[in-house]
This record gives sequence, C-alpha cells and structure tokens, in this order.
Amino acid sequence: MATAQAEKKQTTSTMVQAVRSALIDEMSRDEDVVLLGEDIGIRGGVFLVTEGLIDQFGKDRVIDTPLAELGIIGAAVGMSLYGLKPVAEIQFIDFLFPGFDMLVSEAAKMRYRSAGEFACPMVVRSPYGGGVRGGGYHSQSPEAYFVSTPGLKVVAPSNPYDAKGLLIASIRDPDPVVFMEPKKIYRAVKNEVPEGAYEVPLGKAAVTREGKHVSLISFGAMVHVGLEAAELVKKDGVEVEVIDLRTLQPYDMDAIAKTVAKTGHVVLLQEAPTIGGFMGEIAAHIAEHHIGYLEGPLVRVGGWDTPFPYALEKAYMPNAERVKRAIQKTLNY
Amino acid sequence: MTVTPFTDTPIKVLEYDGTPGPDVDSLGLSKDEFLSIYRWLVYARAVDDRGYILVRQGRSGFYAQIAGQEASQIGSALPLERTDYLFGDHRSQGSMLVKGLRAAEWFAHQLGRMLDPSKGRLMPHGPGRKDLRIVPPSSTVGNQITEAVGTAMAQKIKKTKEMTICYFGDGATSEGDFHVGMNFAAVYGSPIILFCQNNQYAISVRLDEQTHTKTIAEKAKAYGMEGYLVDGNDVLAVYAVTKHCADKARRGDGPSLIEAYTYRYGPHSSADDDTRYRPKGELEMWRNERDPITRFRRFLEKRKLWDDAKEQKLQAECKAEVAAALEEAEKSPAPEPITVLDDAYEKLTPQLEWERKELAAELGIN
Ligand SMILES: Cc1ncc(C[n+]2csc(CCOP(=O)(O)OP(=O)(O)O)c2C)c(N)n1
Repeated sequence: MATAQAEKKQTTSTMVQAVRSALIDEMSRDEDVVLLGEDIGIRGGVFLVTEGLIDQFGKDRVIDTPLAELGIIGAAVGMSLYGLKPVAEIQFIDFLFPGFDMLVSEAAKMRYRSAGEFACPMVVRSPYGGGVRGGGYHSQSPEAYFVSTPGLKVVAPSNPYDAKGLLIASIRDPDPVVFMEPKKIYRAVKNEVPEGAYEVPLGKAAVTREGKHVSLISFGAMVHVGLEAAELVKKDGVEVEVIDLRTLQPYDMDAIAKTVAKTGHVVLLQEAPTIGGFMGEIAAHIAEHHIGYLEGPLVRVGGWDTPFPYALEKAYMPNAERVKRAIQKTLNY
Repeated sequence: MTVTPFTDTPIKVLEYDGTPGPDVDSLGLSKDEFLSIYRWLVYARAVDDRGYILVRQGRSGFYAQIAGQEASQIGSALPLERTDYLFGDHRSQGSMLVKGLRAAEWFAHQLGRMLDPSKGRLMPHGPGRKDLRIVPPSSTVGNQITEAVGTAMAQKIKKTKEMTICYFGDGATSEGDFHVGMNFAAVYGSPIILFCQNNQYAISVRLDEQTHTKTIAEKAKAYGMEGYLVDGNDVLAVYAVTKHCADKARRGDGPSLIEAYTYRYGPHSSADDDTRYRPKGELEMWRNERDPITRFRRFLEKRKLWDDAKEQKLQAECKAEVAAALEEAEKSPAPEPITVLDDAYEKLTPQLEWERKELAAELGIN
C-alpha cells in the first residue's frame, strides 16, 4: 500500500535543483525567510541556485548585496535578531573569511552571551570543496574552523535528497547553521527528490552502504569517493560500511558507536588538509570511547597539508586508490 | 530647530557656560523634561563612579568609564522608543540605563551575578535585555555595526515604524565593519542612526593618527548619507540631532551618521594608564570648562530652575539609589557552575549532554 510519503511526486533532481526547491518551499511557507548574498537576485547566484527566486519573491526577500561578506553575515546576524530567518549565500566558502568574524564572534556566541535571550537562527549556505578546477581560493573545505566554534551547527550533504531535507531542517533550526554544499557534485549526482517540504534531521548520520569488515566515515562529496573505494575492495571480498555523517556539529555519536562495534576497523575520509582536520576529532572520539572494539589503527585520509593547488588538484584530493590503501592498512594491521 | 548636516563646527544649543542659544525653545522640551534630563546626567555619573570603584576595590575585573560622555549617551538615548533597537559597545552604559537597564542589573553584570541579564557570561562591558531591545555587545570593536544595519534592514522589510541606533567610538571607524555597515545602510535606506562617540582617543591613539579626515561626520558623504557633527558635551544639541535623525529614519528617509565630539575623563579602561599619552592640561581643560553636567546645570540655573539646595538633594538621592542598586546586585547569587553549558545552543547537543553528565558528577549534582 502506498504511504503518503510515497505518493508525493518525486523528481530526479540535481543538488542545485534540490537546494532551490528547499528554498522555494520554505520561503512559501514562512515569509520571514529571506535570502541575501552577492548576485543572487537577477543573476540567480553564480551556480544558479537562486535562479528565478527574485521574480517569485521580490527584492525584499531575495536581496542582492554589495560585495562584502562581512556585510552579508553581519546583516544576517542583525536580521535574525529581529525575527527574520536569513539564508545568506556566500559565493564560495573560501570567501566566507571576510565574514568569518561575524560568524564566529557574533552568530555563534549571541545566544550564550545573552544567556539565551537573543539568538541567531540563520543559515549560511556556500559551495565548498575541490574537483572543479577552481584553484586554491575556490576549492577549500574549511569545516574544521566552524566545527570547533561552539554555537554553530555544520551540515554537509552528499546527495540531492539529503540536501533538500537538511537545508529545510537547517532553516527551521533555532541556531546558526553553516550549510556546506559540495560543488563537485552540484550537478553530477542525482536522485529522487520529493516535491514539498520534508526534513532530514540534523545530527543524524546515514548508513549509505552496509558492510562488516571496515567502517568508512565521511561526508559531502567524499562519500562518493568512499563508495568507489568500497567497490574496489569488494573484489577482494572486503565489505565496507560507508557512513555519511551529514551533520558535523553535532555529529552522530550513536551511528559511530554502532559501526565501530560492528567492524572494528575505521577509515576516516575528508577532503580538507589532514592536520587539525575534523576527522581528527572523530578519531579522538573513537579512540576515547570505543578503543575496545578496534582491531586496527584509525586511518585518516585527507588532502595533503598544503594549500589547495590548481593544476595538481587530482594529485591533491583523496581518491579511491588512496582510500583503498587506507582500508588495507587497517585490515592488515 | 533646524539641524544641518556637514557643518564645520559642532552643532550646539548651549554655550560652554550654559548660556542658551536661540534654538533652545524650539526643542519643545518642558521644564519637567529639562529637569529629568539633568537627573539622568547626574545619575549616570553616579553609577559610573561607583562602577569604577568596584574595579579599584578588586571586586570587578574591568570597567570602561563614561565620565565626560554623559551628554552624548543620555542625549542620544532619550529620543528612542522602547521598541527601537540599541546596539552598544564597551562604553554604552549611560544609553543603556536610559533605555531601561536597571543600575542593579548593571552592577550585577560587573560582579557576574545572576541578576546580570547575561548571567555572568561577558567581560563587564554591557549586557543585553531582549524586552528592552538592547543587544549585548561583544568585545570585538566594530562588530555591532553591520549587525545593527541588518536589524534596521529587517525593520524596513517588515515595514515597522521602528528604528535602530548603533554606538561605536572613533577607533571603530577604522575597522572594515564601519565602512561595510555605512555602505549597506545607505544602499538599503535603512532606518538607522550610526552614532559615533568621538572621545578623541582609541585607547592611546589620537584621532589624527586614526584618520586623516577632519571629522568623522564627513565620511558619510562618501556613502551617500548625511553626517552630523554635534557637540557631544551639549546634551540638548545631542538630543536635537538624534531626534531629527530618528524622526527621519521613522519616516523612511534612511540612515544618518552622527559624530558626537566629546572627551573621556578616565583612562580607556581600568587596565589603562592615560597619563602616558594625554598632553598636559588637556583633561583639566575639558573637565573644568566643558563638563556636560555643569554646562547643563548652568543653563538650568540661568532659567531659575535650579539652585544649590536642589543640587544637594539630587546628589543625595542619586547616591542612595546607586547604593541600593549595588546592594541588590550583591544579594544576587553567582550563576551555578552547571549553567556554563547552557545556551551555546537552544538545546544541549548530544556531545554537550555527555559533558553535562561529566560536569554534574564533578559537582556532585544531577
Ligand atoms: C577588533 C578589536 N581590536 C582591538 C581591540 C582592543 N580594544 C578594545 S577598545 C579599543 C579602542 C576603541 O576605541 P574607540 O572605538 O575610539 O572607542 P572608545 O574606547 O574610545 O570609546 C581597542 C583597541 C578590540 N576589542 N577589538
């Protein structure tokens, strides 16, 4: 028998379409939701995520701002204090740094510093990550900065279905959320996305592929590299369980506990440079709480500890071969 | 009175000796309102004096005095409605008091007690109170400016008749936040007053080392808004100019920059030694010849509204009120240690719940 959910019309969507659809649904539902950012109006955003929205919602709700990220994030903080639900777009997450101060000193700390009286329910969405020949300033994965800032939540979807549900959950969340969109798979990955609003809850990981020998924990575009690696080692009889964290702050400790107990071997995959990266946190967490289950070393796979290179991005970014070697390293310990 | 932007000399209503200029009666202030303004000036100084003593006694860790700047603070806050938003900086307590913050809350803030609306979370430079629409400042100089503009943008989007005022010092005008905020405010025609208290120093750095424009107010031109230079030690002038700009904002005629030219008497903060950088005689000149409180009292005396007996009575009243406020603050308990984990997020994250268990065990509570 068909459930209500299944009856919802499904469309095969890209992540760009899914994000737009989330924005349309939430803006239609709640008139306090406003968008602001550079070129998001008539131009529709550099990746065309907000294409057409200014016609639908008007320029009071789809606000083309001057070229100043500090202003975008600062204004979003002020708007959220007043009761609007700003969704700020930063063209590339690499350019969030001019607004970083407003994010970490203001949005993140407002609730705490006012002892709960004021809060900044706002979302900063931005494409992140490499693999699109963007060079050093259009390719970074700076999640570690945000994850280590208490007060912020950090989300990074790996597919269109999750992107829509997570973005809607982020917009409805009472706290400020950094929503990182993996631009490499903006259009490359498609799946079925229902029409109408639905939430994928923050803080809940997904088991993207079941397996019993090794747990591969990742998020965002790297989930697909993990899946590729899982296919590679399948030939050798290794069954990889792929965990997509979906939310990095807070992260899903239960899902981690479960998979570690199940496999006893863990590979941690991120695109960012390895030193000080988010996967170091997951490694520490597992070492602290689940060491009894471990049968091999926690192996991290990340970008090299250099700035992101333009011509050599292929050599830089983690690939399935590297992940495969990491899997072998923990298994053959 | 007509309020003119971009003047070369500060707009004033009273002479330094309190002699009223021709505009006084066009302000539409009654006798009682004059007296109430005076009371605010005296009360703010009494709170300020006591606040500074708390640091000297080692009972509070930090204090940035407003002494010398009372006219800027009181005069600019009086035209605000309760529903208007106030974004302050580390030296805004006078304006906050006018907006409704109680002195007892201010002292509790200095002492880190529960009565502090911010529950002891901040270095004592200003709490917030949502019902009064006072946003708590952070310590980062200038950050409040783009935020305040965002709130004003939201007020315009929501089509309310409210406006926002944002306070900052002359030093803050060198930060990017000021320039970005001015630009955003002008582009969106936001209902905001960007209020610079130019006390001529940012810690030790003099204005001419801070910026090469003659005034702060003239910077407004570059962004396409009006800038007003006002005598910040003339409470009536500050009131008139702020009222003018607030009315303008409420009419939908956009933002203004106000520069209140004033002087601080104390060191930058309790951690500063101002004798290292002030030229000899400068402080004495301002204190003896331009004090905002004396100046206004002289005006009241000329109008036969004030005398020594009234002065003595008011001083005694303010002293008693301040003592009572401090006592109330001291009675308020310190925050419970377990509250350290509250309010980072609306609800504790799973990670914070673990940490709460750990801390609770440490504290022997549940
Ligand atoms: C971004 C930043 N840099 C430096 C400081 C240290 N600091 C605190 S107040 C201050 C001077 C501020 O001067 P001004 O803006 O003129 O305000 P005033 O203290 O004179 O009222 C400085 C440098 C800070 N708090 N934030």
